[in-house]
Amino acid sequence: MAPTRVLDGDRVTRVAWLPGSDRLLGECSCGSRAEGGDPIGMWEWLLAHPDHPAQVTEPDAGTPVDHVPPPHRVLRPEQAAGPRTPLR
Amino acid sequence: MVRVTADAPGRDRMTSIVRNQWYVAAYGREIGREVFGRTICGESILFWRREDGTVTAMSDRCVHRRFPLSEKPSHLVGDTVVCGYHGFTYDADGKCVAVPGQTRVPRTARLKSYPVVEQDSFVWVFIGDDDRSDSVPIPRAPWLDQEGYTTVSGMEPLAARASLLVDNLMDLSHETYLHGGYIGTPEVANTPITTEVDEDAQVVYVSRHMDDADCPPFYAKSTGIQGRIVRWQDIEFHPPCLYLLHSRVAPVGVLPDEDGSDPGGFHVEVVYAITPETEHSTHDFWAVARDFALEDEGVSDFLRESNRTVVLQDVVALDALERVLAGEPDGYQELSINIDTGGLAARRIIAAQAAAGAEQVPDSPATLASR
Repeated sequence: MAPTRVLDGDRVTRVAWLPGSDRLLGECSCGSRAEGGDPIGMWEWLLAHPDHPAQVTEPDAGTPVDHVPPPHRVLRPEQAAGPRTPLR
Repeated sequence: MVRVTADAPGRDRMTSIVRNQWYVAAYGREIGREVFGRTICGESILFWRREDGTVTAMSDRCVHRRFPLSEKPSHLVGDTVVCGYHGFTYDADGKCVAVPGQTRVPRTARLKSYPVVEQDSFVWVFIGDDDRSDSVPIPRAPWLDQEGYTTVSGMEPLAARASLLVDNLMDLSHETYLHGGYIGTPEVANTPITTEVDEDAQVVYVSRHMDDADCPPFYAKSTGIQGRIVRWQDIEFHPPCLYLLHSRVAPVGVLPDEDGSDPGGFHVEVVYAITPETEHSTHDFWAVARDFALEDEGVSDFLRESNRTVVLQDVVALDALERVLAGEPDGYQELSINIDTGGLAARRIIAAQAAAGAEQVPDSPATLASR
């Protein structure tokens, strides 16, 4: 998968992605390349220039398999969904 | 693959509006020889045209008792604006030149004046320290006001913070009217989407170049192309305000010339200007320019209706999203996946621009009056 190259500045970073694929291909302006599983890890790796780590941090690293999400808190009436009329 | 990202703590307590930048305030056609008021980046601004046709911009609050100069019966007299409440009169630079009942005009009787540039059918205004306006370039969209292009355009008010519109426009799964689904057409399997960031130019570019694709009925009808096409869809975002979507179609194998000219290609340029009104509302300027079927009213109507429909769908969705985000406690969690590659790049550039452009909150009139 070759990234399209449109911008031609000195400090251009690129991330190529085939829709439907789980892998991103990142290319730094210094020529370093790496593959990663999500854009958070990929941008972290790219922005580490010039000290790119050996690997891109993969998503779900450090998340336990039995991760329990917290509730999503609602503070104000306008944030509350649902009908606003009394039920009779 | 997902990644949970905690948002920066305290985000809602700080202003998220990027200062020391140029923003689209209006279309040129909205401003004439009448007073016109609009709130840009939380600042109330008055716009009008001098008798020579050039646009001027100043604070939209009379220094006397804060009456909005854009409200009737305020009006223009030559190259001055007369406040409708007591008749305070200001020149085109915002300087008060007459007050009722006396000849002495107090020295602080002056409205903040804003740098204004009229270009590409837009009226651009600089929000921030006027001294910095010359060092910040204004991004271009020349086809909006150029021979060889026909443009349809409008503006929708959005009851949502500007960053939601940026996320929305940079989101690869966001369906664009041009081709019935950015993701999901047959060519998708073979066409990578490339996100490029130029740190020096502060541009985020997302491109999808298909060498050989089906020609959708809309293009076949309006361009007359028969058979398969080369299709390029390129997002070019100049944070914080100007978003361009370049769409190029041509018969397979027809590419631009070496010198950059492109007589064999058909171009649609979609332009959005994302201008904050307040922290929680945005002016959503949209325009569609094309270089083919220039006189065809049917094509103009189709593009105008299609784009406006899509914009309104986004407005409904983002208005709802703003309601659930407003006042959320800090540290809410988000997930980002591959479609968010471009959106995350845009957020980072905007955050860097916000930090670079941050300055003290401008003096309020009360502070000035006490000096």
